[in-house]
Amino acid sequence: MKRIGIVGAGSIARTHADRIKKMPGIELAGYYDIFPEAAQRAVEQYGGKVYPSLDALLDDVNYVDICTTANAHKEPVLAALEAGVPACVEKPLARHLADCYEIVEAQARTGTPLFVAQVVRYFPQFAAAKAALDRGDIGAPGVIRTVRGGSAPGGGGWGSASSARSYYNDFDKSGGVILDVSIHDIDYQRWCFGEVERVFARGLRFAGKNPKDHALISLRFENGAIGHIEGSWAYPPGLWRTRIEMAGTAGLIEWDSLDQQPVEWRIQPDADSQPSSGTASPLIDADDPYYRELAHFMDSVENDKPQGVTAYDGLMAVKISLAAIESERRGEAVRVRDYEEKL
Amino acid sequence: MTTNVKLGFFSFAHMHAVSYARSAQNMPGVEIAGIYDANPAKGEEWAEKLQTRFFASADELLAENLDGAIICAENVHHRPLVEACAGRVGAILCEKPIATTIADAQAMIDICAKTNTKLQIAFPVRYSPPIRHLKDQLDAGSLGEIYSAKCTNHGSMPGGWFIDQKLAGGGAVIDHTVHVIDVLRWFWGAEVTEVYAEIGDSLLHPDLGIDDAGLLSFQLSNGVYGTLDTSWSRPKSYPTWGDVKIEVLGANGLIRTDAFAQHIAVSSDAAGKTQWPGWGSNADAGLVADFVGMIREDREPSITGYDGLKALEVALAAYESARTGKPVQI
Repeated sequence: MKRIGIVGAGSIARTHADRIKKMPGIELAGYYDIFPEAAQRAVEQYGGKVYPSLDALLDDVNYVDICTTANAHKEPVLAALEAGVPACVEKPLARHLADCYEIVEAQARTGTPLFVAQVVRYFPQFAAAKAALDRGDIGAPGVIRTVRGGSAPGGGGWGSASSARSYYNDFDKSGGVILDVSIHDIDYQRWCFGEVERVFARGLRFAGKNPKDHALISLRFENGAIGHIEGSWAYPPGLWRTRIEMAGTAGLIEWDSLDQQPVEWRIQPDADSQPSSGTASPLIDADDPYYRELAHFMDSVENDKPQGVTAYDGLMAVKISLAAIESERRGEAVRVRDYEEKL
Repeated sequence: MTTNVKLGFFSFAHMHAVSYARSAQNMPGVEIAGIYDANPAKGEEWAEKLQTRFFASADELLAENLDGAIICAENVHHRPLVEACAGRVGAILCEKPIATTIADAQAMIDICAKTNTKLQIAFPVRYSPPIRHLKDQLDAGSLGEIYSAKCTNHGSMPGGWFIDQKLAGGGAVIDHTVHVIDVLRWFWGAEVTEVYAEIGDSLLHPDLGIDDAGLLSFQLSNGVYGTLDTSWSRPKSYPTWGDVKIEVLGANGLIRTDAFAQHIAVSSDAAGKTQWPGWGSNADAGLVADFVGMIREDREPSITGYDGLKALEVALAAYESARTGKPVQI
C-alpha cells in the first residue's frame, strides 16, 4: 500500500482527498497545514493524521499532493523535490515566474518526479477534443476558442468561505481570473496548438471591479494559429460555463457545458411547493478528471514514465498568463518569449 | 393604399440579392423593374428565375424611372454603381461593406448628398428579432453598467470574388467585421476607438491567398471592450453557413444572443450530413421592408452611408493592426 500526504487543507484538497479515497492501493496518510485546525477538520472528514511539520509529512509518505494557495507553492514543492518525494502540485505552478524557474531548476537537478495539476487536460471532453485533433479529424490547427467562467468568488457556492474569498480577491496572492482560471485554457490551448508567440488581453482587472474580474484574451501561436479565451469571475450567480471550439483546415470541434445535459430535472413535489431543477453529467469514478490526473501522476511515477504535465509546462502556463495580465495592464501585445515579470 | 414602388437590381454578384429580390416580390405594391449585371449570363439567369427583365447596362435600367436601386455588386464596384445611380433614383440600398476604402465610401456619401439621393447600407442583422430583443433589453438598462461584448460572425469560405483582394478588398475580416460592429454602434451610439487584430491568411484554407481567420479585440467609446471572431471557420461538413452571436456582460448579468438559433435539425442521407434550416424571421425581408418604407414615407435612411463608413473603418483598422502588430486608434 502506497501512502500519499496532502499539504494545504483547503477546497481543492477536499476534491483530491475525495478521489484518493476511491483509489485502490493508495492510502491517504494525512495532512500538513500551517493552520493545524484546518488539517484537523480534513482528517475528521477523510481520515489519516495531522502532521506537525512539512518535513514530518514528507518523511512518512510515498507521494505528496501540494494543495496550498498559488503564493505558497514554492516552499513545499522545493522541499519535496529535495527530499525525493514525488509531488503533485496544484496549478498555477507558482504565483511568480521567478519561483517557477526555481522549481523547474530544482526538478531537473534532483530528478524527483513533479506533476502540475492542469486538470483540464484530464477532463474527458477536453481530452476527446485533443484526441480528435491529434487523429487529424479537423486537419491542421486554425482557430481555437475556449470559455471558463462563473461568478466572483465569495458570491456563494464555491470559494465562499471567508479565507478563500480573501485569497481569490487578493490579486497579489491569486493573480486574479487569468492566473487562477484562464491558466487552464492557456495550458490546454498550448497543449493542443503548441507554443504561443504573443498574447493580447482586455478585461476588468484594472477597472476597479474587484472581486469581479473578466478577461478576453487573444493568442497567436508560433505556427500561425489563433486562440481566444474568455475567463470570467463576473457572470451572474449560478452560471458556470466551459466551452471548446477548435477549427482546423478540414473540420471543426465544438462542446459547450450549456448544451443539453445527460440528466436534467425539474420537479414540483406537490402543487403548493416551488419546483426545483438541476442537471447531472455523471461518470464512473475512474473517469472523473481529478481521479484521472492523480492516478496518472502516481502511475507515471510507479512505471517510470514521463509526467503528462511537466514542470516546464507549468512554468509556460504561468508565463503566458502573466504576459496576458501584463498586456491587459499595458494595452498592447506581449511577446511571450521576451516576457519577464517585473516585481 | 400603398404607393407603387419600382426597384432595380444592380448586380447579383452578392447572393444576398436573391434574398432581397424575393423579399421585395413578397411585398404588396413592390415591382422589380429589372436586373443589370456585368455578367450577362448571370443577369439573364436571375431575370428569368425572378420573372423580370435583364438590362445589359446600368444606364438602360436607370431609364426605367426607378424609385430605388439595390446594389449587390462586388465590393469594389459599389462606388461606380452608386455614382451611376445617384441623382437618377431617389434611394439606394447598397450591400455591405460600403466600399473597400474610406475614400470610396466618402465619395459615395458625398455624391448622394449632392444629388439628394437617400443612401442606405444593407446591414440586415439590425432586423434580426433576437438581436432587436437584445437591443431592447440594453435600452431598458437591465444589465446595469456594461462591461464587454464577446462576438462571433463565423462563416463558411464563400469562394468566388470574395477571395479576390482586388474585388473584395480583403477576405474574412472585411466580410464579417462590419455586420457586428454596425450593431454594436447601433446598440450604444458609441464608436470603436481602438482595434487590435490577429489575422490569419490561408490559415483555415491552405493556399487560399487571402485572410480567412480574424480575431479583433476592440474598445468602444462608452468604455465597453470586446472581441469579434470573423473567421471562415465553418467547414463544408458543418450543419449551417455560420453564425452571428453576441454575449453582453454587465454589472447585473449576462445576455447571450444567437441570431440564428431558431433552426431545426435535418439529417439527410441525400445531403450526407445534418443541416440546420432556419425558421426565424427573415432579417433580409426586414431590411427590404425598411428600405421600401423609407421610399414611401420619404424619410431618412435608418442605416446611413456614414454607418457604413464607420464599420468599414474598423475592418481596415484591423488589417492595419495585423500588419503593424499594434493596437490601432480610430
